[in-house]
Amino acid sequence: MVMNTILEIIIIILLAAIIGLFFLGLSRKIMARIHWRYGPPIAQPVIDIIKLFNQTSMSHGKLFNFGIIFSLSGSVVVLLFLPLGEMCPLSSSGGLLVILYCMLIAPLGLALSGGEAANPITSIGISRKFLLAFGYELPLLLILLTVMTHFNTISIVDIVNMQLQTGWSFQHLPLLLSGIAYILILPAILDLRPFELIQAPQEISSGPMIEYGGKFLALATIQHAFNVFISLSLFTNLFLGGAENPGYFFLKMLIVFIILLFVNAVTPRFRIEQAIKFLWRWPALLAFAGLIIVSVTG
Amino acid sequence: MDRNKLGKWLQSPGKMGQKYSLHALYFCTGCGIIEIPPTITARWDAERFGVIPVATPRQANLFLITGYVSVKTLRPIIRSYEQMPEPKFTVGFGSCPINGGMYWDSYNTIKHLDKYIPIDGWIAGCMPRPEAVFVAVTHLWTLIDKGMADGYKKYREDYHYYRENQEKILGKLEWPPLFSSKKM
Repeated sequence: MVMNTILEIIIIILLAAIIGLFFLGLSRKIMARIHWRYGPPIAQPVIDIIKLFNQTSMSHGKLFNFGIIFSLSGSVVVLLFLPLGEMCPLSSSGGLLVILYCMLIAPLGLALSGGEAANPITSIGISRKFLLAFGYELPLLLILLTVMTHFNTISIVDIVNMQLQTGWSFQHLPLLLSGIAYILILPAILDLRPFELIQAPQEISSGPMIEYGGKFLALATIQHAFNVFISLSLFTNLFLGGAENPGYFFLKMLIVFIILLFVNAVTPRFRIEQAIKFLWRWPALLAFAGLIIVSVTG
Repeated sequence: MDRNKLGKWLQSPGKMGQKYSLHALYFCTGCGIIEIPPTITARWDAERFGVIPVATPRQANLFLITGYVSVKTLRPIIRSYEQMPEPKFTVGFGSCPINGGMYWDSYNTIKHLDKYIPIDGWIAGCMPRPEAVFVAVTHLWTLIDKGMADGYKKYREDYHYYRENQEKILGKLEWPPLFSSKKM
């Protein structure tokens, strides 16, 4: 039994890393095809990581090393609470509330680590990161509250099982509103184009990442891959009914991600106050309407 | 292009990674800024070779210096070069970094860039076409394969030579010597 759980944990972490990196590579390829370019091979992020681990790297202090590990482990902890098909090693404890808390660990770790580098541009990037997190956490909280009230449980495994009987949550009206709100805040969580103001290479020279090089950048890339996996997997579990087998699950995630990439390819970048204004107006309003309908109709 | 040969990846992953993931730092202070955007965007897509531009020297391993280098821009070039993680490769783009080019008698232009930082390869021409960047990249692959792109090792070994030249033209440098190398 214990062996089984450990095996599941290892499989989930490996799968999340592979799928996340595959999605990152795919995003570069799809963006290239939309620009009428040939584009890099899909394995390009893996090639980059192999190269980065073979470089010398410059550390800026103890907190710099610690923060990046902290953020990576925060992402790994969230992974273990998300059901992937039948697999969910820590399903019996916590549920959505723990996910909500642990999702903030990853940006916090990156901020700690970047702050140690004491670059002025890093602090601009970190302040933008937290402002944006401030922007999307409110709709996210409302969305999760709606889902929890509708299904009357905080366990994400129970939510997936109930959807297997009654159909996807997307088919019920109040949850449809929350689902649309989640899609609207997904680019902000994933750092995609309308909300790509944390890294913004042309503006603030890749923001919090400016002092990262070598293996630190490799770890940050892996953390980003985990982040992509976590937010898409949470959406699929809550609104698209999860799945019995991982293959079908990844297909659902892929379709959502490709839709986000199309938006990413053709939109310019918001300024930070425009982003906050947008996030607190439309997604928050939709999610709030959904919450009211759910709590009134019971 | 042997990017898809799994045997080579297993044999020397570091070398293959450095070959096919060149994160380029473009130092466009003189001319040459016109030639770089077409190479990285839709017309001549450099990303298919694994070359993408990055915004900071910490993430870069290919340093592309385009156009002439004035005395004033030499200082940031040296600092950027020293901040890049090893192994790093440098390419001089255009004829001005090679020998001064049309600024051969200017009082304010660096004539031979390889006296101040080590250069792994040159692209001659005034200005070279964007395709020349790809010729340079494929040539750099050959050099990396043979272990001949070792400018960063030279910088370590002969640091006193480069430092002397830098101090001769810039006066006293405000940062301490990077490597403690023995005098000749």
